[in-house]
Amino acid sequence: MATVVQEPARPRVPSAPIDILNTDLAKLYTHIHPVLLLSVYAFKFNSIVENPVTALSETLVAVGILQVVFSAICLPPTGGSATPLGDKRKPGEKKKGAPSPVASAVNGTVIPAFLALVLAIIAGIPILGVLLVLFGAPISTHWEHTALCAAHISFLTAIPLTYVHGVDGSTWREIVSLELPIDEVYGCLIGTMLGAWLGAVPIPLDWDREWQKWPITIVTGAYIGFAVGKSVGGTLLKGKTVLFG
Amino acid sequence: MAPQSLHLTLANLLIPVAILTFAAGFFPYKPFMPGLATFEELRWDDKWDWQRRGTPERKFDRLVFMVVDALRSDFVYGNGSGMEFTQSLIRDGAALPFTAHATSPTITMPRVKAITTGSIPSFLDVILNFAESDTTSTLAAQDTWLAQLRAQDGGKGRLVMYGDDTWLKLFPGFFERQDGTSSFFVSDFTEVDNNVTRHVPGELLNTDWNAMIMHYLGLDHIGHKTGPLGPNMIPKQVEMDSIVRDIYTAIENEEHLENTLFVLAGDHGMNEGGNHGGSAPGETSPALVFMSPKLKKITEFTDRTSPAEPKGEFEYYKKVEQSDIAPTLAGLLGFPVPRNNLGVFIEEFLFLWDDASDRIQLLLRNAEQVKKIVEATYPNLYFGYDRKDFKTDCGQSLSDGEKLACKWSGVVDIMGTFATIHPRLRISQLYWFLRAAQETMSTTASNYDVSKLVLGTSIAFAAFSLAFFSLNRTRPFSFTGIFFTLTLLLYGVLMFASSYVEEEQNFWYWMTSAWFFYLFMQASREAWQSWFIFHPAIVLLFLHRITRRWNQTGQKFAGAPDIVHSSLFRGSSSVVLWSLIGACYMDITMRLARHVARSVAGKDDPPGKDGKVEETNEGERLMGMMAVFPLGATAFVFKLAFTVNDAPELTRGIAHGMLYWAASLELVGLARMVFGGIALVTGWMVLYEWRASRARMSSEQGNGNLAVSLFDLFTLFLITQTKAENIPLYLIFRMQTFLLSFLDLSPTAISLTSLLLGQTTFFALGNSNAISSIDLSNSYNGVSGYNVLAVGALLFASNWAGPIYWSLVGVLLLGSHGRKQRHIATGELDARDWVAVEREHLIKLAEREKEGAERRQDPGAWRQHVGLLTLFISGATVAVMLACTVLRQHLFIWTVFSPKYLFAMAWGVGHHLGVDVLLGGCLWWLGTW
Repeated sequence: MATVVQEPARPRVPSAPIDILNTDLAKLYTHIHPVLLLSVYAFKFNSIVENPVTALSETLVAVGILQVVFSAICLPPTGGSATPLGDKRKPGEKKKGAPSPVASAVNGTVIPAFLALVLAIIAGIPILGVLLVLFGAPISTHWEHTALCAAHISFLTAIPLTYVHGVDGSTWREIVSLELPIDEVYGCLIGTMLGAWLGAVPIPLDWDREWQKWPITIVTGAYIGFAVGKSVGGTLLKGKTVLFG
Repeated sequence: MAPQSLHLTLANLLIPVAILTFAAGFFPYKPFMPGLATFEELRWDDKWDWQRRGTPERKFDRLVFMVVDALRSDFVYGNGSGMEFTQSLIRDGAALPFTAHATSPTITMPRVKAITTGSIPSFLDVILNFAESDTTSTLAAQDTWLAQLRAQDGGKGRLVMYGDDTWLKLFPGFFERQDGTSSFFVSDFTEVDNNVTRHVPGELLNTDWNAMIMHYLGLDHIGHKTGPLGPNMIPKQVEMDSIVRDIYTAIENEEHLENTLFVLAGDHGMNEGGNHGGSAPGETSPALVFMSPKLKKITEFTDRTSPAEPKGEFEYYKKVEQSDIAPTLAGLLGFPVPRNNLGVFIEEFLFLWDDASDRIQLLLRNAEQVKKIVEATYPNLYFGYDRKDFKTDCGQSLSDGEKLACKWSGVVDIMGTFATIHPRLRISQLYWFLRAAQETMSTTASNYDVSKLVLGTSIAFAAFSLAFFSLNRTRPFSFTGIFFTLTLLLYGVLMFASSYVEEEQNFWYWMTSAWFFYLFMQASREAWQSWFIFHPAIVLLFLHRITRRWNQTGQKFAGAPDIVHSSLFRGSSSVVLWSLIGACYMDITMRLARHVARSVAGKDDPPGKDGKVEETNEGERLMGMMAVFPLGATAFVFKLAFTVNDAPELTRGIAHGMLYWAASLELVGLARMVFGGIALVTGWMVLYEWRASRARMSSEQGNGNLAVSLFDLFTLFLITQTKAENIPLYLIFRMQTFLLSFLDLSPTAISLTSLLLGQTTFFALGNSNAISSIDLSNSYNGVSGYNVLAVGALLFASNWAGPIYWSLVGVLLLGSHGRKQRHIATGELDARDWVAVEREHLIKLAEREKEGAERRQDPGAWRQHVGLLTLFISGATVAVMLACTVLRQHLFIWTVFSPKYLFAMAWGVGHHLGVDVLLGGCLWWLGTW
């Protein structure tokens, strides 16, 4: 059996919901982003139905770029720099030749975003792939399909989440156990997961449509869930936590 | 009684009332007209002089009726068929081929009824098919062509019958000579047929019979085992063809068989998987061939190409209804059409009579007989002989009954007219009426008793409301409660989607996966496991994934790869399967041994004075093992012996000597030994625990060990009722039970888990909402002769084994029966920091122990559990009833929704009342000892 690491009875620091960066660009792009993502997906939908593996791979690249861009533009990066980079500079350092805006952007946002992408690939895809199989994905066939489905879900959820929360174990425990307060990023996760789960509903229907094939409905559900979760999480439910009983 | 208990009791009493009321409206009992039909005086005698001319001369005086079970049309007519002689007869014109449409349910007994009476059997015959001895389902009192043949020539008709004993049950005392075969082991491809064939040569020489009926089962068995493309299929067709050749040659050569009509018919077809019961084109398209040298007269201009190409799926040559066989035989053999017939005389045969007045008389008699049924169905409409305004179009605006009345008045008009018209016109008018009547009367839509449907649904809804008010109102916002509501709600909605009724397993698999993942998320709140992939909930999810892969079921993905049909268990690697089965029996035997050892030691593991739990010693354990080992071993040997006979492909890797020995064992006796052993141990355990509980002080509380012992004994019974290839699943169930006891589940969560897993395992064991998926193989264990109650109970246990298991596990989890009582003295625990974690853990254990023990003594906990299960079952029943009522005109009503209702009946009455409430209640009560 696994060892149970008991959390010491520490006073719980309630995590605060994440706010979108306070720049005009961030405030604008956060609304454009889901529309853009859904448009890309809708644009590729027919070719995904026709040829899932190729089209999903192509879409994946675009989605990866968009998600990295979204994280870099709109979200506060993780790590010690919980605050935007500009505030971090100490007064003394300022004089030693401030880093160029490009360099600070690279250090503060581009690198975390890139790391988030890498993590989403090396950790997110295998974990979500296994989860998909546990939830009923085909096990002896359709390997690429399942992997691509996992990749899409991973890119939709893990890139922004890792970008803001990093790899801190206790935060991820809170993420899994639904204890984190809901915000735009966490809403994306819940929405995407619920959407993917509900996406399985049309598969057994006897409509005999091409799009009922694995994993198209799941990915579609994930995208719709992403958009819904993001907007609801950023507005209506912001700051609330999911209650358990 | 507390109002809550009263509500719950009432709800449970209302469930069977609702189910039966609805069934009475949904499957209306069709009154049949008793007595034998006779040739009655016909109208328009003055014009046609029928009385003087007499009834049309019969063309045949003998009948050989050969039924080949599951003889699908393409097995005779198709390109790959092995029946070359029959095909050559078709080319010669001595055989007239048809595709005879069989209505759903496509199983043998209703089909035999349709063939012999010409009626469309009601759906209730499905149930009667499984309770065959029910005398109401025999056809002894009904008008059939068998009864007519016996009555012919002043009651001198003689019948002989060889083959499927369904005929002997349907027609008791009808046959001069008979030899019934039963389809007990589907793996028997040859014996069942040889037992029929060996009688044929002798009977062909006998002159005393008027009709010989044969019913071959081998082809159906091959279909069930290996599908329509199996390696034995073509050889079997060749064998059947050679019998056709023997009989046809005898008809050609023997003088006394000169006027013999030879009919070869399938009772139903089979689907791609080799099963039947539903309404796929393959299942509803059996072959029907009429053979006689005399038929060359009428086949000159018919389609005689053979092998032929099908028009639609499995539609070869002309398509007729299966019920058409009865009136056609009546005309050809010269007896009155059976009273309840809805069939139509097949047109091709009219031309055996040269005189048009004979042809018209045949059809008119058919029409008069059908009209009587129509008249009885629509008593308010006019079906008399007065000529009214003749309408040429009986238009769309009319109701079904009015259309028939209109068409009948057309018949009256054209029969009565004195104008000289071509006989062809009269014949078409008669067919116009007959075919319309057949179609209208076959679709029973008009026969629903809607008021009973509504009443039944309302009663079920009342039960639902009562169950709802019997529940304790807990916190207003519990996630488990939401999940429960969501399950019920989604289930209710999905019952309206025909594909989800067919693929119901997907819903339960999907819901259960989500539930286990939720349990993981919930558990993550309390403790984070560094190895979270080994968290009990994740392992549960993993085991669930294996379970759902075990058997593919439903319609759409029925043929997809699964574990049972993989090479893992087949052929030489069946050793793997039998090792797993052995492990399962070993596990259950060891558990039983522990219980018996405990009883031998006379210990109820009470805490010793030092707080230590006393264990049984080695000697006692040995005695326990010795006591139950024979039981476990017998049960295992029975399973092996049964499987050698029933599914030999699963035992190929086993040593031959052992198999030979196992095959020679007497199964009924073995099964009785197993059941007797289980009963014996049960009696012993109950006796022991009863004494132990009386010996205990009133302040002391038992451990609920008896419930665990009985559960293990019942599991052994369920395993005995399970097909060999599914037995390893019980190892998975055992692991899941173990893991669930690790999770800190609330009472509601326990009820929900047992519900979800019960439904999941129902489908994972290979069942679905199709009649064809019902497994009959284990329902005769230990039964010789026929006993409706025993067979019914065994049938239910073998098909509902998974749900029964999980219903009982739910009871055990709820009362944490048999959990080791450590009686931790929480006050004395070391309070220093470094043991804080350990201390917390122990306190929690102690709390859970206390909680479980308290719950065990609390009838309220049991009431809440039953309340939730009642809420679900009544809600689900309401949904199924609503779906059946709203969709009663739906195309799939007889193929999807009616079977689902039959299953809902079994869930509501058999599983909920019988298992959840009665059996579970017994277990709960015995657990309080």
